[in-house]
Amino acid sequence: MDETQGAFLELRKVTKKFGNFTAVDEVDLVIAEGEFFTLVGPSGSGKTTMIRLLVGMDQPTGGDINLKGVRLNDVPANKRPTCMVFQDLALFPHKSVGENIEFPLKISGVAPDKRRQRAEQLLKQLRLPVDYYSKGVNQCSGGERQRIALARALAFDPDILFFDEPLSALDFRLRKTLEKELKDIHRETGKTFVYITHSLEEAMVMSDRIGIMRDGKIVQIGTPAAIYNDPINRFVAQFMGEVNTLEVESAGKNTVQDIASGARFKVRAMPDGFTKGALIIRPESVKIGQSAAKLPNRVKGTVYNDYALGSRVQYQVRSETGDMQWLVERLQDEPFDGKAGDKVTLGWQTEDSILVGD
Amino acid sequence: MQGQANRFLSWLRQPGVLNAVPASLFLLIGFAGPLLMVFGYSFMPPKTFSLFQEPTLANYSSVVSDSYYISFFWSLTLAAATVVILFFICYPIAYGMAKVFGKWANLITVLIAVPLLISENIRLFGWVLVLLKNGILDGSLQAVFGFSASGMLYTVPAIVFGLVYVYLPFMLFPLVIGISMIPDTLKEAASDLGASRWEVFREVELPLAMPGIMIGGILTFILSLGSLAESKILGGQTVVMIADDIESAFTFAQNWPKGSVLSVLLIALSGTIVILLFRRIDLDRIIGRR
Amino acid sequence: MATAKAKSRVARNLIVLWTVCVLAFLYIPMVAIVLASFSKARYFRFPVPRWTTQWYDKAMDSLSIRDLLWTSLSVATLVTVFSVALAFMGALAFARYDWKGRKLYQRLVLLPIFFPQAVLGLALLLWFSALGITTSWHTAVFAHMVWIVPIVILIMSIQVYSFDPSLEEAAYDLGASRFQVLREVTLPILAPGVISGGIFAFLLSWGNFPLSLFSTGADQTVPEWLYSKMVMGYTPMVPTLGSLTMSGAAILIFLFYMVWMIIKSRQSRA
Repeated sequence: MDETQGAFLELRKVTKKFGNFTAVDEVDLVIAEGEFFTLVGPSGSGKTTMIRLLVGMDQPTGGDINLKGVRLNDVPANKRPTCMVFQDLALFPHKSVGENIEFPLKISGVAPDKRRQRAEQLLKQLRLPVDYYSKGVNQCSGGERQRIALARALAFDPDILFFDEPLSALDFRLRKTLEKELKDIHRETGKTFVYITHSLEEAMVMSDRIGIMRDGKIVQIGTPAAIYNDPINRFVAQFMGEVNTLEVESAGKNTVQDIASGARFKVRAMPDGFTKGALIIRPESVKIGQSAAKLPNRVKGTVYNDYALGSRVQYQVRSETGDMQWLVERLQDEPFDGKAGDKVTLGWQTEDSILVGD
Repeated sequence: MQGQANRFLSWLRQPGVLNAVPASLFLLIGFAGPLLMVFGYSFMPPKTFSLFQEPTLANYSSVVSDSYYISFFWSLTLAAATVVILFFICYPIAYGMAKVFGKWANLITVLIAVPLLISENIRLFGWVLVLLKNGILDGSLQAVFGFSASGMLYTVPAIVFGLVYVYLPFMLFPLVIGISMIPDTLKEAASDLGASRWEVFREVELPLAMPGIMIGGILTFILSLGSLAESKILGGQTVVMIADDIESAFTFAQNWPKGSVLSVLLIALSGTIVILLFRRIDLDRIIGRR
Repeated sequence: MATAKAKSRVARNLIVLWTVCVLAFLYIPMVAIVLASFSKARYFRFPVPRWTTQWYDKAMDSLSIRDLLWTSLSVATLVTVFSVALAFMGALAFARYDWKGRKLYQRLVLLPIFFPQAVLGLALLLWFSALGITTSWHTAVFAHMVWIVPIVILIMSIQVYSFDPSLEEAAYDLGASRFQVLREVTLPILAPGVISGGIFAFLLSWGNFPLSLFSTGADQTVPEWLYSKMVMGYTPMVPTLGSLTMSGAAILIFLFYMVWMIIKSRQSRA
């Protein structure tokens, strides 16, 4: 992406210190207009501080934040054309659904009938019944409250919408539905969304680009596919959930050696100056049984456990040398019907070997 | 110096500090100031009214040699008796309010709190009307059974009765908070592990409710210790409690230094207890942030 | 199993019975005073031989009683206004914000509540005379506040603790000014706490005796007058005025209860 041309929100060496602790450390970042950008990081990585700096709840101790070429640093939160959906949503408990949505319009002095019209329009857009207008917010379900919070933010008509993990308290199924809805809303409104979460999976579903944050720095930025296929280091790779990780060292051209077992495996490409690191293979890349026989990278082992996961089956396989528990997933219809105790061969394609430094 | 001043200014600019300033200043002027002054007077020569004289310990020694220990003894004894009686009266109710009554608990809370808003004098006077010779109790007993129950008023038990009556809510509410902090599952787990009802009470309920019990006990103890109206209205002149002595030293005897010494001793006694309590208790947890 | 259940039902019933008895016990003196106020005899005896409402007529006509009520009302009103203002900020500092020194502040606020009021009243009397202030009902307002402000802070804090600060941030983020945040979000949500605090301030000041005794100087509040007449020179005006102040308090509590219910139903309307 061409940085200067697409620059909408631009951060230059943004820093936030609390005493001796640096929560956000000289972050440079450019976000384009209309983009859905997600910051992913564990708790304590500085992502919440970062979003608070961007909406103006906190002031950076160094660096510049520019929006459309205007410096935002000293603009207080209530004068910024940005708006945040809070983690706990922060719906006003003493106001009805409609009054909540209208709140920013009331503040900016819009006439009551115009406000109501806009609120009802937003209710429709967010797939809420229009008669919710006079309902109490505490009578609404978790998913409905999410939509109300989003409607209230949209009523403000901000240049950028920020989201502070608003879906984290919901159950899995509802979260999945709302992730997709949020993406729909993003497309329908064409607004710039900046989202933070600790779940890379959630980020993958919605985002145009993802930034991975650690210790106040953004360690990798890229499209979901780029992050998924080419994690820059072990830290980023960890966010992918359950993966098979081998400690390896370099053993010639495009070859690594497993330190524990001594087995050698092929990799796509070796980063410059690589000596030691981790070889990561996703459970769904690992083939089991007959289909593994002809693959370039193979290990032998014994099936230890099998779990049905609906559309997939997951196996836990203990390697022959006993130093590794492999996780293997296969789709229901792939031909293999091993059970605990069976001796099996595992294998994967060289392009599924992901090699990362520390 | 400059750095320190700056740090103080940035501390002062926090919203919490700014909001605390008016109430703190008010309490420094209206509470800490007068108490320091009483402390100062306690070192002035007897029966003088100025704070700028040679300090002396004469008042402290005279308090020890005079018979003030008697009124201290009465105050401590009556306060202790009040606390014990209140604990046994309130525990079952508190247990009921925390665990049994459900939505009725709110109504009961209101019913117990309402008398607090009516002057202590008036309520104690109501008891005088009940306990008086030919009063409600005596009169009813005479009319129905033909015997008299006069002579209950103006006795030591009548004072304890008054203290128990007036300070009941101050024992009850902390107990309710204490007991409601015990998770039900813990008790079930204990009885599931074979503990008897008494063992559950002793090993689980009592220790976990302890913060509430301590607050209630100490609150009622201190309030009873400094009480004035109960012994005057219900006790007649049967016994003199320490607050009576303090009052008469300041008013009838016009001996401010002596009254100050007695106040300082009472404050020291109550203050020690309160400070010991505050050390062991997390206010945020008890009042609101669970 | 069945016996255990039966046992716990018996225990339950005993608790209910005991609670009802204690509640009745709390209200006995109030009933006694109301009975006495309708008794015709100059000195109360029971069963009441003859009933009358003459003491109420006399109380209404008496100028000195009107003075007493006026003094008590003035003190309680001023105490309420000042206490609520001080305590609203005080409660925010107590429970809403985290700041260095908060623990110390919390203890400073709680100490006066735990303090013997009679001693506090005498200490204040000394304080006023040292500062050269003549005591009157004005100084009583100050004296009451020393005890009442902390109580109101505590009452409001209970509400403030459950207040979610992100609501203020959200309103601010949506364009509201600091003042609009206060008007649209903070005050309406904390209103029940502010109202309860105000009611408590009024009633505690209205009924206070130990602090008034030493701080009113030549003026007299209702509880002081009642006390002086109880100790010497009993008149049937004592139960009468007692009943009047009790009914005043009851009406206020009832109004408060109604307001509370309205706020509650508005917050959880369907």
